[in-house]
Amino acid sequence: MEGKSLKRELGLLHATMMGIGGAICAGVFVTLGYAATLAGTALIIAMILCGIINLFTMLSYAELGAAIPSAGGEYTFAKASFGGFLSFATGWFEWISNMFYAAFSSVGFAYLISYVIPAVNIPLIAIIAVAIFTIINIKGVKETGLTQTALVIILLGLLGVFIFLGIFTSQNVGSLELKAPEGFLGVLRASAFIFVVYLGGEAIAVAQAEIKDPGKTIPRAILLSCFALILIYTTIALVVFKIVPAESLAGKASPLAYVAEQFMGPFGVGIITIAGIIAALSSVNTSIMASSRVAYALSRDGYFPKGFFTLHARFRTPVIATLVGSVLTAAFAATGIVNFVTYATDFGFIIGFVFVNLSLIKLRRDKPNLHRPFKVPLYPLTPILGIVTSLLLIFFLEPSTLLIGLELFIFGLIAYYIRMVGHYRVCLAMGGMNLGISAFSALFAYLIISNLLPISLSQNIASLLFGVAILVSITYLIAGLLNVTRKHG
Amino acid sequence: MAKARRVALRIVGGLQCGSGGLASVFAYLVYASPLIREALTIASEEVPLYMFLFLVFGMFSILSGFLLVHEEDSGS
Repeated sequence: MEGKSLKRELGLLHATMMGIGGAICAGVFVTLGYAATLAGTALIIAMILCGIINLFTMLSYAELGAAIPSAGGEYTFAKASFGGFLSFATGWFEWISNMFYAAFSSVGFAYLISYVIPAVNIPLIAIIAVAIFTIINIKGVKETGLTQTALVIILLGLLGVFIFLGIFTSQNVGSLELKAPEGFLGVLRASAFIFVVYLGGEAIAVAQAEIKDPGKTIPRAILLSCFALILIYTTIALVVFKIVPAESLAGKASPLAYVAEQFMGPFGVGIITIAGIIAALSSVNTSIMASSRVAYALSRDGYFPKGFFTLHARFRTPVIATLVGSVLTAAFAATGIVNFVTYATDFGFIIGFVFVNLSLIKLRRDKPNLHRPFKVPLYPLTPILGIVTSLLLIFFLEPSTLLIGLELFIFGLIAYYIRMVGHYRVCLAMGGMNLGISAFSALFAYLIISNLLPISLSQNIASLLFGVAILVSITYLIAGLLNVTRKHG
Repeated sequence: MAKARRVALRIVGGLQCGSGGLASVFAYLVYASPLIREALTIASEEVPLYMFLFLVFGMFSILSGFLLVHEEDSGS
């Protein structure tokens, strides 16, 4: 199973399609309605604004990707500039964000299929989609790239039909006069909400070890995909507001399908549904590829188990990293916790953006002589703007996003701690935490039996909780004692 | 004494893995089941916090249980 290295088989077209397909997910088909209620027709401005914010950071990806074209994207950049826990945290967020993104996209795909065939089992369809793209990803990066290119070309064709017919239709109920019902603040809020439609394009950087002539291809592919996305999203918004008034989009489950129906009838709904299905599939494909390359890079540097660094002897793809990531993705998809997965994805990607810009600044200072085939213009203004705008976006997201981000950070911290410190010290720490949980459970049981809890519970529930608390207290007391009395070595 | 310790490691490790798994499933139920939330008087805005607590507890328990069982397997 051991191979030597990943094969460089992706050209400019494949890489660009990976960037476009990674970003155009099912999100664009559903987010426009709420965004239009916030920004009105000024959503067109929000689309361009998001594209420019995305461009600040993508320029950093282009410089770093061309200068350090090894597998792993953000993680590899953070490793080269900071090392230690910061690089691990970047890779950790990137790994799980891509898995969550693949899960989110596969569930989105299953929901779209259910519009066509209502009787389908959504988790099962999501798992089948993950399984198919896992096989394609293991088969080879060339196959992954070809599949992605084919999917994105069909997707762009369908969106092209929507845009072309929308521009030339005589239906003109909407208005292109820019009006924002909540002013500029509404435009900013809409920007934070729809920014997700630009996320995912950095998949190019994750696959940079498999891109031919990386010094030229990576910056070109990143910039091409960035400008293509701005053009696609802005023209979609223009067509939408030409056809219908902004306020009519409120509460629509699929605003794009609604608009398409207005000027193309059921044919339009069909086109947009198929486009949504293809967009979701291309995101699943890109995310599975991205998560496996990050796990491969983390394993290369000793943060993940060695097995993740194994390449398939024939296909030269990271087979174990792909399989493990896909099993976890399928598990997330099967739970159907779409909101959790979405928030976790947003948080992880935005944190990745911050670290990429920080890495660029650090490397420019520490390694000024590093060969850089492409350089970010207006340095240091561009990466600083990338950091500031990314951080602002986090605070415009739902408050739950920050809590979920904290959870993911804690899991990452535990994983890093376990990997980096000795087994004996980990067991001692575990023992201490076990004893703490035991004491807390005993206190909780006392509060229940004394009726001192500040919430009212029925007698049955209180008895059940008391029994569980006592069982947990005894189990963790013994576990704690077993851990702290362990012999060193 | 060593034999008693091995038995205790196996039982307690297994119990911790089991309770960790149950806590993770319970985190999902708190999210997905209005009946559970009602029985435990959990307001909808408190759901992420409860999920956080149960998931952290669940992951910690599974990890701790594995470490105990692993010690038993390695025979140290």
